[in-house]
Amino acid sequence: MANIKLELVELRKEFGELIAVDDMSLACEEGETMALLGPSGCGKSTTLNMIVGLEAPTSGDILIDGQSVLQVPPGQRNVGLVFQDYAVFTHMNVRRNLEYGLRVRGMARADIDREVAKVATFLHLEHQLDYKPLELGASELQRVAIGRTLVTNPEILLLDEPLSNLEAEMRNQMRRELRRIQAETGQTIIYVTHDQIEALSLAHRIAVMDFGQLKQYDTAHNVYHYPDNTFVGSFLGNPPMNFVHGQFGHDGNRPVVAQNGSIIPVPAASAGAVSDGADVIVGMRPESMMLAEADDPEAFTASVIAVEPQGPETVLTARIGQSDLKLVVETGTQAHEGAEIAIRPDAELLALFDAASGVRFKA
Amino acid sequence: MVTKTANGGVPVRALQARARLFDPNDKRYIGILFITPVQLLLITMLIFPFGLEFFVALTEWQPTYGTSIWHAVGTVFSGDTELGLNYYYLVTDEPRFLEALGRTLAISVLSLCLEFVIGLGLATIFLKTFWGKRIWFTALLTPMMIMPVVVGYTWFMLFQYSGPVNQVLGWIGGTSAGADLQWLNNGVLAFFAVVITEVWHWTPLFFLILLSGLNAVPENPVRAATVLGASNWRIFWTVIMPNMRGVIIIAFVIRGMEVIKLFDEIYILTRGGPGTATETMSLYLYKLGFQDFRLAYAGSAGFIVLVITVVMINMMLKPIRYELLEKR
Repeated sequence: MANIKLELVELRKEFGELIAVDDMSLACEEGETMALLGPSGCGKSTTLNMIVGLEAPTSGDILIDGQSVLQVPPGQRNVGLVFQDYAVFTHMNVRRNLEYGLRVRGMARADIDREVAKVATFLHLEHQLDYKPLELGASELQRVAIGRTLVTNPEILLLDEPLSNLEAEMRNQMRRELRRIQAETGQTIIYVTHDQIEALSLAHRIAVMDFGQLKQYDTAHNVYHYPDNTFVGSFLGNPPMNFVHGQFGHDGNRPVVAQNGSIIPVPAASAGAVSDGADVIVGMRPESMMLAEADDPEAFTASVIAVEPQGPETVLTARIGQSDLKLVVETGTQAHEGAEIAIRPDAELLALFDAASGVRFKA
Repeated sequence: MVTKTANGGVPVRALQARARLFDPNDKRYIGILFITPVQLLLITMLIFPFGLEFFVALTEWQPTYGTSIWHAVGTVFSGDTELGLNYYYLVTDEPRFLEALGRTLAISVLSLCLEFVIGLGLATIFLKTFWGKRIWFTALLTPMMIMPVVVGYTWFMLFQYSGPVNQVLGWIGGTSAGADLQWLNNGVLAFFAVVITEVWHWTPLFFLILLSGLNAVPENPVRAATVLGASNWRIFWTVIMPNMRGVIIIAFVIRGMEVIKLFDEIYILTRGGPGTATETMSLYLYKLGFQDFRLAYAGSAGFIVLVITVVMINMMLKPIRYELLEKR
C-alpha cells in the first residue's frame, strides 16, 4: 500500500439526538481520489467539515499523514475545501481570489504573482484574472474556487458536490477537467457527491454512506460489481440492482432461491454457508443478465411485461414470482411483451444478501 | 390585416357605439383615483410651500415689514429688489450660520462614527449565544423607541450638576462627592453631552441594521476564508465588511439625514447654549424663523443646507448606486 494520506478512526458526530456520522473508519492513500457517496442528509458533508476542521467530531480521530489533526485549527491543517456554491469572494476580482490563501500565509509579492499565474494557466483562467466573479459563468467560478484552494498546495483537496450546480454539458466538461487536475497534480482528492455516475467515473475508491453509516468502502469497480449490502446495490447503477426475495434451498444438487414456485438457480460459490430455508435476497445487476436457451440449467424463466428501447440498449422488465426485474439487453433481442424468456445471470456477479439485514453472504 | 370577416371587413370600431369619454368601469382610473388625494395633499402641503419659499428666499422679506408675502414674491418677478442677497450675506458675513453648519457636521460625523462602532460591536456580540440574549436585545433596542423629547428630558436630568452622571463619575474617581463637571453649562462639555445623548438614542438603529447585515453575510465565503487559514480579524475586514458595504452605507444615509435635522434633544438639553456652543443648523433656523421672524433669510439658509445634504447623501450612496439601480 502506498502512503496513507488520510485516516478516519471511528469518527463520530452527533447533533443532539441525531447521529450524523456513526463511527466511520476508512483510510485514503496519497494521490488517490476518494468519493464519499450517499443520498443527501447521509452525513457526507459533515464528514467533510470534520476533515477540514469546521466541525469538531464527537469522538474518534482524524489522521493526516499519520498525525492527529483534531487539535489543529482549520486554517493550519493544509487541506483545501471547494464549496458546492463555490463561495468565491464576490467583491474581489479573480486575481484577488486566487491570491487570498497566499496573502494569508504572508508570501512575498513576487512569489504570489508567480503561483497565481501558474494556477491561472493550469485552470485556463489567465484571461479572467481582472474580472469580478459576477461577470463569470458557473464553470469559471468553479475553476476560480478550485484554483483558490489549489494555489495553497493543500495536502488534501476536498470537493463538496462540485458539479451539482452546473448544467449537464458543463458537468461533463468539468468532470474531464477534474480528472485532468487529478492526473497532473497527483492531488489526493476527496469528493463528496450524491451522483453515482460522478463517483464511478472520477473516484478510485468510493465510500458509500447512508444515515451516517459507512456502507461500503472499496474500489469503484468492487463497489459497483460486488456490493456489500442491498443499499449499495440499489444506490449505484441505473437502473439499480434487481432484488428478488426468496428462500434458499436445494433443487436436487444445485443451490436455488425459490419464490412462489419460481426458482432462481444460484452459483454454489455465492451461496457459501447459507443454510436451507433461510430468507435471502438475490441481487442481480440489470446488465449482468443475459437471455439464454430455455433448457439452460443456470437460467430461470420470467415473463416480459415491458420493453423499453433506449437506443443501442433495451431495458426489459420481466416478472418472476412477485418481483419485477429490469435487465439491459442489446436492442434487437427477440423479446416482446408477454413472452416467456429464460434469463441466465452472470454467476460471478450474482449476489446473495441476508433478507433481514441486507448484508451480503460472503463465500 | 384580416379582411374576410363575417361583416365583410368593416373595422369593428365602426360597428360599436362611439366610445364614451369617461367610463367609470375603466380599470385605468382606479390607480389615479387612489393616488389623487395623497397627491393633492402633497402638492398643497409640501410642493406649493416649497416653491413659495424658494421665491421668498430670494428676497429679504420678513412678516415684520408689514407687506404681504405675495408682494414679496411679486418683487422677484417685477425686479423691484435685488435678488439672492440673503445667500450672499449668509456665506460671507454670517459666522453664526457657518459655525452652526460646521457644528452640525461635527456632531453628525462624531455621533455617526460612535454609533457605528458601538452598534457594530454589539451586533458582533449578538452573533454568539449568551445568557439572556433576548432580554438584552429588547433592552438595547428600547432607546430608539423613546420619543426624542423624552430622551432629551431624561438626559437633561442625568446631566445636572448634582445629577447621576457626575455622581457616578465621582464614584469612579474614588470620591463620594461627585465630579465637578458643568455638563450643560460648559461649551465643550455641552457639545459632548449632546453627542452622548444622540449616540445613546440612536446606536440601537445601527445595532439593528448591522446585526441584520451580519446575519445576511453568506456563510460559505467566511468558511472558505477560514479553511484558507485567515485569522478572524482578517476575515472580518476582507470578507465580512465588504459584504456589508451596502448595509453600512444605507445605515449611514438613514442616520445621516436624521442627525442633520437634530433638534428636539438639543432644544431641551441646552437650547443651543451656552452661548451658541451647541447651536446646530435646525436650532439656528428655528431661532431665525420663529424668534426673529426673518423667514426669507431662514429659507435661504435652509436651501443651502438642503443642497449640502443632497450632495453629501448622493456621495455616500455613490459606491452602491450601481447595485441599487443597475443590477437586474
